[in-house]
Amino acid sequence: MEYLIHLAILFAIYAILGISLNLVVGYTGLLSITHAAFYGIGAYATAILLTYFGVNFFISVVLGIIIAVVISFLIGLVLSKFSGDYYALGSFGFNIIIFSIFLNWRGLTNGALGIAGIPKPEIFGVHFFSNTMFLIIAFIFLAVVYLAARFIVRSSFGRVLKAIREDEKTIQVFGYNALYYKLAIFVISAGMAAVSGSLFASYITYVDPSTFNLMESVFILVIIILGGLANLRGSILGALFLVLLPEILRFVGLPFDIAAQMRQVIYGIIIILLMLYRPQGLIGEYKL
Amino acid sequence: MFSQLILNSIIAGAIYTLVALGFNLIYGATKFFNLAHGVLAAVGGYSVFFFGKTLGWNIYFATALGIIFAGLLGYGLDKFVYLPLRRRKASKMILLVASLGALTAIQAIIAILFTSQFRTLSQNTGAQKIYEVFGGVITETQLVILITGIAIMTVLALILKYTMFGKTIKAISDDEEVARIVGINTDKIIGYVFFIGSAIAGLAGILVGFDTGIQPTIGLGLLLKGVIASIVGGIGNVYGGVIGAFLLGFVENFGIWKISGEWKDAIAFALLIIFLIFRPRGIMNK
Amino acid sequence: MTIIETKKLKKKFDGVKAVNDLSFKIEKGKISGIIGPNGSGKTTLINLLTGIIPIDSGTVIIEGTEKLVKIKPSQVSFYGITRTFQDVRIFEQMTVLDNILVVLTERQVLKALFERHKDYYLKHAEEVLRKVDLWDKKTQLAATLSYGQRKLLEIGRALAMKAEIYFFDEPFAGLFPEMVKIISNIMKELKRSNKSIILIEHNIGLIRQLSDYVFVMDEGEILAEGVPEEVLRKKEVIEAYLGD
Repeated sequence: MEYLIHLAILFAIYAILGISLNLVVGYTGLLSITHAAFYGIGAYATAILLTYFGVNFFISVVLGIIIAVVISFLIGLVLSKFSGDYYALGSFGFNIIIFSIFLNWRGLTNGALGIAGIPKPEIFGVHFFSNTMFLIIAFIFLAVVYLAARFIVRSSFGRVLKAIREDEKTIQVFGYNALYYKLAIFVISAGMAAVSGSLFASYITYVDPSTFNLMESVFILVIIILGGLANLRGSILGALFLVLLPEILRFVGLPFDIAAQMRQVIYGIIIILLMLYRPQGLIGEYKL
Repeated sequence: MFSQLILNSIIAGAIYTLVALGFNLIYGATKFFNLAHGVLAAVGGYSVFFFGKTLGWNIYFATALGIIFAGLLGYGLDKFVYLPLRRRKASKMILLVASLGALTAIQAIIAILFTSQFRTLSQNTGAQKIYEVFGGVITETQLVILITGIAIMTVLALILKYTMFGKTIKAISDDEEVARIVGINTDKIIGYVFFIGSAIAGLAGILVGFDTGIQPTIGLGLLLKGVIASIVGGIGNVYGGVIGAFLLGFVENFGIWKISGEWKDAIAFALLIIFLIFRPRGIMNK
Repeated sequence: MTIIETKKLKKKFDGVKAVNDLSFKIEKGKISGIIGPNGSGKTTLINLLTGIIPIDSGTVIIEGTEKLVKIKPSQVSFYGITRTFQDVRIFEQMTVLDNILVVLTERQVLKALFERHKDYYLKHAEEVLRKVDLWDKKTQLAATLSYGQRKLLEIGRALAMKAEIYFFDEPFAGLFPEMVKIISNIMKELKRSNKSIILIEHNIGLIRQLSDYVFVMDEGEILAEGVPEEVLRKKEVIEAYLGD
């Protein structure tokens, strides 16, 4: 039972990551492979603020969002000059630069050693020490993010995002400043990713740079393509898959250290198969 | 000190050149970023490790096998993944994502087979022969890297310019549609391009294996440097890749002279982004 | 009165003068045809005037008041201009209805974010889609439409803009007679409402039928202009076409 709760929390964290990235990739058509950077910003914000400054968890979430928003705004400005595959490469670059900062700015992040002992959340005297209580917070955050994403997608703004995805030059002729829209959704998505980073930090109680590298961004991309682009429930499905796959592998009897690599092999093969035979994923509404 | 920096830059440049050569060749012919390119370097290196050290075969033979194996894997990727996608007129993004999948899977397979432990290919644990050049020091392996880099670059340039095969590749790079109409079997030629490009990448991985050693993740690192070199120098342009590679080598090594060495990757990518913003076509392209 | 005027408009591609010192005036409330052999610069001209590609030099004057040397695509609609494309650029993986709705809704980012469904948008979309006979396909993805239907959808999208100036780039190419009729009637109706239409077309018969005035382009310049009956008889015009 404890273990199921553990899986559920991880699921919530990845579902938030998936939903937020889907807004950018699936709805707006921007092949962004830098999401782990914002995930990391949220995680480190919470880690640093909680352990060094004793800031309240929920306030750290807000601050993490703000930092992610500012940085993603700058990155988004630069990335908006690229399109298609160049966009992907540029986003790679930013992921690596930010990863480098996590790894090398030791004064701030303690480098490869990471930051340990991150306390669990607390508010108005209620201390969320048990996993069950943490699960509640995680799911509340997930619900908020999901509803926000759904709100965005169903608004006129959401429709414009899709048109940008289909033909950016053309939709501009009809009176839309595509740059503003692309920036807005990129920034919103980064803020959401930061939230899941904060959850991660407080739950695992330890953060280090290796969680927020390029491969992590690729994994998040894989699960949203698998679940289905431009479909929020698809991202939830994808997150479910991501969390259950290691369990299935373990069930089948694979030793622990191979299991992690095997996951990667499976992701890689799944992506190739998806591209070849089902680019819209499981329940997606958009084919790359 | 200074001359050592220059030497290091040149050696780095030579390695990056080998990676960029193949990458650019493939991009020129297919117009997409084959992100799996780097991992083929790892494949080359690990093949040599397997044949040369694990099985204990003759090291030169193992090297040849490694190069061929990397080439074959690249050829296979094209034949079974990229070609079917190209036939369906898949977008550049789909191809890029598919190559990402290949990179992910192959890198993990290597890690499973050989563990993530750092491996070196060199036979003797004793000191290598060292040459003193203009006040700097270069090992025998590094010298081999340098010579190989220049040799392959030259041979490739000659092939592309003077042979029928090379001209066919250029025709495909200019316009695949037209090339097919005039009767060129573009699928077959592209297959060869993948083989050659991947083989060169494999060679790069092997040389790095002899020089410093290999890990499963080395493919990603080399790929990224290859990408930067290619874009900076001029994507699709074989000579551009060379210029970009050496420029990158210099910027990296001189960059970390003043800033700490751990920021090397960040510096490399900052260079990429600067070029993507101001001169996405690179140095050599108009 | 002149609704659009260009003065010495220039655009070069790789040294080739696609549009060469072009100066012309479009009359308000009329259908102005632009004809010319392939490569004469017709589509480039429209692309310059609608911000798709940047102007090298020259001025564009709209309604006598806006003097522009640079046109950004997102400004174009504010000048009352809209268009269709020769290569039919609809939004493939969106529904037919969404293709129309997306040009009706709020432009400003923040307002668009908080805007939900509005009845009058739907009504307006229905009006437009019925005119191009696509209302019963409103929930279908645009990608599933036939070629003719796609062209009609594009026209519908332009109509939805309630613009003053319409640029139609080869709207009739590849269409069955029934659809040609629908589109011709739409254009005539627009003209009756005093809207201005600039029509690029290869079909000389349709040009003769629909245009009040014709411009003949060749090699980036205006070769001849005038009323259709006169212009189409001119020697240079015939030569330009035959010489191709």
